[in-house]
This record gives sequence, structure tokens and C-alpha cells, in this order.
Amino acid sequence: MRARALALSILSSAAVLTVGWQLGTQGQTSTAPDAAAPTTADSVTSDPTATATSRGGSTPSAAATPAPAPTATNGSVSAAAAASDGASGTFTGTSVQTRFGAVQVQVTVANGSITDVTALQLTDKDQRSVSISNRAAPVLRQEVLAAQSANVQGVSGATYTSDAYLSSLQSALDQAGL
Amino acid sequence: MGVHVFDTMGTTVSLRFAGATAPASVLDGVEGAFRAFDERFSLYRTDSEISRVARGELPLTRTGAELREAYAEALDWSRSTDGAFTPHRPDGVIDLSGTVKAKAMEAAARVLDSSGEADWMLVAGGDILTRGTLDGLPWRAGVVDPDDRGTLLCAVELVGRRIALATSGTAERGEHIWRTGDPRAPQRYRQVTVLADDIVTADVLATALVAGGPERCPELLNRFDIEAITVDNAGNLTATPGLQSAWGLTPA
Repeated sequence: MRARALALSILSSAAVLTVGWQLGTQGQTSTAPDAAAPTTADSVTSDPTATATSRGGSTPSAAATPAPAPTATNGSVSAAAAASDGASGTFTGTSVQTRFGAVQVQVTVANGSITDVTALQLTDKDQRSVSISNRAAPVLRQEVLAAQSANVQGVSGATYTSDAYLSSLQSALDQAGL
Repeated sequence: MGVHVFDTMGTTVSLRFAGATAPASVLDGVEGAFRAFDERFSLYRTDSEISRVARGELPLTRTGAELREAYAEALDWSRSTDGAFTPHRPDGVIDLSGTVKAKAMEAAARVLDSSGEADWMLVAGGDILTRGTLDGLPWRAGVVDPDDRGTLLCAVELVGRRIALATSGTAERGEHIWRTGDPRAPQRYRQVTVLADDIVTADVLATALVAGGPERCPELLNRFDIEAITVDNAGNLTATPGLQSAWGLTPA
């Protein structure tokens, strides 16, 4: 049960980084799993390996399996660790594509305890830290805008046909050379 | 400012240059880029490759690489939007009209880029892609009011990496949007505008948000790097943070 407890501990730590859990999607993973082998004084093959996997859902599940190697699934974040006393190592989850780019979670284990959980690549292209929510909130129109007074050069609308174009705002702008 | 207007893919394209209109050879290249996509992918043309597939005359395995790649890309979009976007009509026929106009715009942009044209706005049937500026100021696009197509809801500046704007809706030619549930429910979206870094993402996500509606909206907005303005059937507007203060809008 120690392996399971460790897996859950990893999960609860990683849950802070909800990006990976909530936004993980199938078909979007671009990087292969990169789980480092644990360095341990004990024999690795005799240790149970805990694998925690979430598949883009809101309810991560944890499972302890006797598999000898860490496993990771495309489109999910996985953390794996050997759980015997004295096990140490750094474990990196699968890269998950989000709107801010790739996000990975790295877990450091020393002597069977998690010492650090780090989000890799949780910054945008300008290396600023990012917020993870992009919410559409209610807005109001200040006024009815006319295309020419709004000083626009193009008009975005649901696809119009060539016939509909003739009576469109875009046609008026084009004819005016604006 | 120079403006060149031509018909293609059943719609009208307007191409603006901040300076003089590009030479005829460049304009021919732009028109040719659209024509190539139209000849291969239009279901309105009975002689197009995709029409022959739709009629069962041509097996998918014997189509050209371009069609199969475009189909594969559309299927990827279907997966990444969990089916909110689909390249299949309800009767099972492959319909790539949800992506090919945007792909044709990208091809036209490559022609302009390789010709050294630096400051232009391309409008294809209501989808917009820009480069550079208009005399140092951002290109600015209006978003049409679906209730009164003679007026605008707001105006959006295309600046920095946000150079692509697309709108999907039920007001006109919305035949590649298939929605589940009652499309007349008041909270359903009748129009969605998406601002993105590239026009395929903008076009696909605008369609996916109209199809997926408010239930799918938060998840799609978090998953994809886009800004959006939605209009529901009751006339209520929402916008993501980057567009809440677009010209003409104010946070509620």
C-alpha cells in the first residue's frame, strides 16, 4: 500500500498544477514520455511501481501495478516512482499540449519521499508565468458601430456568398477604397 | 491603399495593400492559390476531386496526396475538439469546406510573403488574415452584427501575433456546422468570432464553438490559444479577456 500512498501523494501534489490534468487531451501530445530510471540502492525490479494516470478528466485515478518500468500514455500526465525505502530519482511526466504550450510535471523522490514537484515549461513564449483560465465573460455593446466610423478595413462575419457580398459592409468598404 | 477584389470558392475575396496594389503576377499567384483549392475541394463543383469521392466514383485511397492530407488534418481537428468540429456531413460525406478556405488563405499568404509584400489584409468571405500594418497602425476589422448585418458589434485590432480573425454563425452559409440538441435554445450561440495566431485555428475554433455551444466553450477556450466573442440566440454577448474591451464593447 505504500506504493499506492506514494502515487496518491504525487497526484495530490501534481493536482496543484491542474493544467496538465484538466487540459490533457488525446491526440495533442508531442513529446514522448521521458521517465528517468530511479537510482536506488535496492533492486529496482523487485519494487512495485506506482503509476498515476489521468486522461484529461476531472477525476484522476491512481493504480499500483507491479510493472517493472514506468509507463506513460499519450495525452496524459504520468508520474511513476519506485516506492521502496531509499528509492530516489527524478520522474518526468508526459508532455501535455495546452494553450500555453507544452506542460510537463517533474517529481523528485528521495528515500521514498517526494521532495519536489516542479512544473516544466509553465511559462509562455516570453517566459512569463501564465494563468490557466481563459474565460468568456459577459460584455455589453457601448454603441451601434457603423463600419466607416469605426475605421475598419475589413469585416468578419459568417461566410457570405458572392451574391451576399454585393450587399455587404465589406463591399461598401472595398468600393470606397477604405 | 490598393484594393483587389475577385470571386472564388463561391465567395468574394478582398485583398488590401497598405501601399500600392501588388503587381499583376503576384495577384495572379494569389488567385491561383484559391483556384487550386477550389478545383480540388469544392462540393459545389461537380468535377472536383472531392465531389467524385462524395458520389462514390473515386475511392479515398486513389485520391491525391493533397486531399488525403487535408482530410487527415481535418480529422486531427475533430479529435482535438472532441468532435465539436467535424469533416463529415451527417450523411457521412466528407466535406472539407470547414478548413479549405482557411488553407487557401494560407497558401495565398505564402505567395504574398514570398513576393515581399509586407503590409496587407486578406478578407475571404468574412475570414481575415493580415500582415504588417496600415501606415504604422494596426489593421482593424469589424465584427458584423448577426441581427443587423449593416452594423458592427465591435472592432478588433489585428496586432502582434494575433493576425487571424474568423466568424462562424447560422446567419449565412453555415452548412458545415452541424449541431446536436435544439439549435434554437436561447443560450445557444448564433455567432462566434475567434482571434488567433493563424487562420485555420481561428476558422476551425469558430465553427467548433458554434457547434459545441456554451457547454463546450470553457474547455475549448482553455485548450486552445485563442480569444473569442460569442453571441447567443437571446442576443447576449460574451468575450474572453483579450477582447472584452474591444472597440465598442465594455465588460458587463
